[in-house]
This record gives sequence, structure tokens and C-alpha cells, in this order.
Amino acid sequence: MRRELERIEIPDEHEARERAWRLVERAFAEREPQPQRRSWKPIAVLAVALVAIAGLLSPPGRAVLDEIRQVVGVKESQPALFSLPAAGRLLVLSDAGAWVVDRDGSKRLLGDYREASWSPFGRFVVVSRANELVAMAPGGDVHWTLPRPDVRFPRWGGSRTDTRIAYLSDGELRVVGGNGKGDRLLDSQPADRAPMWRQGAGHVLVYQRRDGTIRAVDADTGAELERKVPPETFLSQADLALAHDLLGVGDFATPVRSPDGRWLAVGWAEADQFVFVRAAGGRQIRAVANVSAQFRSRSFPTIAGWCCAP
Amino acid sequence: MAAAGRDERASVRAAQRGHASGIEALFRLHWPRAFRTAYLVVHDAAAAEDIAQEAFLAAVRNLDRFDRGRPFGPWLHRIVVNRAIDWTRARQLRGEAELQDALAAPEQAGALDESLLGALAALPPEHRAVIVLRHLLEYTPGEIAELLGLPRGTVNSRLRRGLDSLKEQL
Repeated sequence: MRRELERIEIPDEHEARERAWRLVERAFAEREPQPQRRSWKPIAVLAVALVAIAGLLSPPGRAVLDEIRQVVGVKESQPALFSLPAAGRLLVLSDAGAWVVDRDGSKRLLGDYREASWSPFGRFVVVSRANELVAMAPGGDVHWTLPRPDVRFPRWGGSRTDTRIAYLSDGELRVVGGNGKGDRLLDSQPADRAPMWRQGAGHVLVYQRRDGTIRAVDADTGAELERKVPPETFLSQADLALAHDLLGVGDFATPVRSPDGRWLAVGWAEADQFVFVRAAGGRQIRAVANVSAQFRSRSFPTIAGWCCAP
Repeated sequence: MAAAGRDERASVRAAQRGHASGIEALFRLHWPRAFRTAYLVVHDAAAAEDIAQEAFLAAVRNLDRFDRGRPFGPWLHRIVVNRAIDWTRARQLRGEAELQDALAAPEQAGALDESLLGALAALPPEHRAVIVLRHLLEYTPGEIAELLGLPRGTVNSRLRRGLDSLKEQL
């Protein structure tokens, strides 16, 4: 059988080899450690963003800014490698679709989906494309699909045994059970922003309406729990992060936190890098270069989540 | 065989030291089978090229961490086969292309090729991968089990079912 398998003709075999060799040769040449000059502009962007992040985690201040500058200046990145600095798996969105990245850096394309979110304990992923919401295992096995028009911002929340998925469809905010059943309308006037589940008991969803107000509602009953109150008075730290996004305070790629809480991952589009910042136990920064190419994307990929330690 | 192993280790060492001749030797040695392996699993030349290419780029990226005491081929083949399986599953999930459509591509292939390709295409991607690993790359079932992280019994069962199916169709 080996001879027969080797005799099978493959279209453009020779050309493919030459194309591949050119790429590999170039990647090998670029692999050599190059002293990099960093302009202060991207550093400033990163620093400002990280100060914003730090503001959500610890008291912001000049010291933090200086520390970040110092860390960025001391280049510790290994741009050719792509392994995660902490346990768990990343969800990444690129022009090619939704990807799962394992800790060792191996990647799996789930399919041509434009958005994705982990289930609360990382056992499943909810993905969406124009007219479909899909729940699947990280390995790619589809559990259920729900046809809906113009699906956006799917977000999965809840406990280990009882979960809900919130999403926007055709300009409406809807909620469906984690098993794909019980789909219902929650609000017909949501803003065009991602909702977020509040951590803790119950299924409390925080989202913004088109009139600018922020609401916290019981997703099962639709009852409004809080509304248009300054975020500090009723939002948890996680909610503050949400409010930060909802209110458009920062447009730097939204950071995601590692499952152990020690690392933050942010996208740094200008440098085409994912940057991992250790937020506990001593500052460290690790960078992954050539992110767009690695995820077959023309536009800069987005880190959609980091979950969960096996 | 031992000499080939020494040559390969020398190539890895040279590449790790930054010599382009090392990576070129590894590429020339392993590309044909990596590409063919991917093609026989995905049945799409462009996708196979992407998959094999990505595997080599991953090798370049991880070169410094590579243990020279271990053979390069199995490490590369593992990446290729897993990505080929993932790609095939993703295509099936997307419903963007049917396997039969993909089979129309190699118009110049001979009748034997087409029948063998067609028979392979009828197998699930996991079975195709095991058949290719066993009969093209000549790994033992134990080695395949280790490569794919599967129980040996599963590998044997996939091999047996795959071969039975191929015999029926050929």
C-alpha cells in the first residue's frame, strides 16, 4: 500500500514545496534574535492601557506607569514562540475564524466563526456567525446550533450545572439555556455592545441599553435589579471591567485574565503581538510576535478568552 | 537508519545554531512526506500545503526548545496529522465543501490513485490518519498511539476498520 500511497499525484506538488521553502527560509532568517528598537509611541499606548488595567486591579499611579515602562524596556519577550505562560487555553478570533490555543501553543481552528466565548468552566465554547449560534466542545464537536439572524456577542455564564448564554440577534438581547433550549427575548433595545454575566449566584446579566443606561437584570425572570447607578455602587470588580468596556473608556484590546489570575493577555495591534503581563508575583512581560500570520488573518486577531486549567 | 538519525540530529543542531543549511536539510528530508500525509487526510492540495507549511513554521518557532535526543519526524508528523484532522472536521462542520467535491481536484491522477483516494475519502478523518501513519509513514500501532495520544486498542480498531472499508471499496 505504501507504494500506492506514494504514487498518488498531488496537484502542484513541486510548486507547493518551493513556496513552503521560501516561507520557512524567511521565518528561519527572522528567527535570529534581533536587537529591536521600540518606538515610544506603542510603549506609551501599552503603558496607558496597562495603567487602565492596573486601575481595575490595584491602585493606579505613577509608580505603576514607571514600572510598566521599565518592564517593557527590558525586553524579555520571545517573539518566535507561542506557548502560554499559565495553564488554560486561549480562544482567539481571526479572519479565518475561531481558534483554540492549547498551553503548548498548538492551535485548532473551530471553524469560520466571527465570535466566541468560553463556557464558565471551559468545557464548551459558544461561537457565532451571521445567522447561527453554535455550542461545541473545544475539540470541535458540535453540541447544538440555533439559527438566529445577525448573531453577535455571545457570552456564556452560570454555574457548573446551570448555564445561560446571552447574545444579540437582529438588535435584540436574547438568552438561551446552556443546553440550547428556552431561547427568549430579554430586551429589545440593547446597545451594540457585549453583555456580561455577573459573577456569583443566579443568572444576573449586566448590559447597556441604547439610551446609555446600564442595567443588571435577572436573566431568568427579566426583572431589573439595578439601573443607571454609578458603577462603583453596585458593580463587582468584574463588572467594573465590563463597565470599562461598555462605556468605551479604553479601546485598547480588552485584556483577558489567566485562569489562575496571575497573568493578563492583551492584543497589541501595532506590534502584531499578543502580550502576556504577569500581574502577580513580580512583573513580567512575554510577547508573541507575528500573531496575524499565525492565525491566518489580515486584520489583527482578538483574544476572546482564557480558560480554564484542566 | 542509524546514520540517517545521526544526520537528522546534526541538521537539528546546525539549525539551532542558526545555520540555514540545517533547516534546509530538515525541510528537504521531511517536506515530501509531511505534505503527502496532510493531503491524504484532507484531500485538498491547498489545505495540505497550509498544514505542512504551518508544521514547519512551528518547528522553526520552537527550534530552540527541541530536544535533539528525539527524532524530528514523529514530532512533525504529529502536528501535521492533528492539524489535518482538525481541518477536515472543521470543513465538515462548516459544510463548505463536501469530500466528493474535493476529490474532483486531482484530474490528472491515474485510475488507481483515484480509486484509492476515493476509498480513503470515504473513511472518517481519524481513520484516514491512522491508515496514512501506518502505511505511508510506516509507524507501528504503538507509535501511532503515542503520536496521537490514543489507546493502542483504538488505533488497532481504526486500522482494522479502515482497512476493511478500503478492501470493500477497492
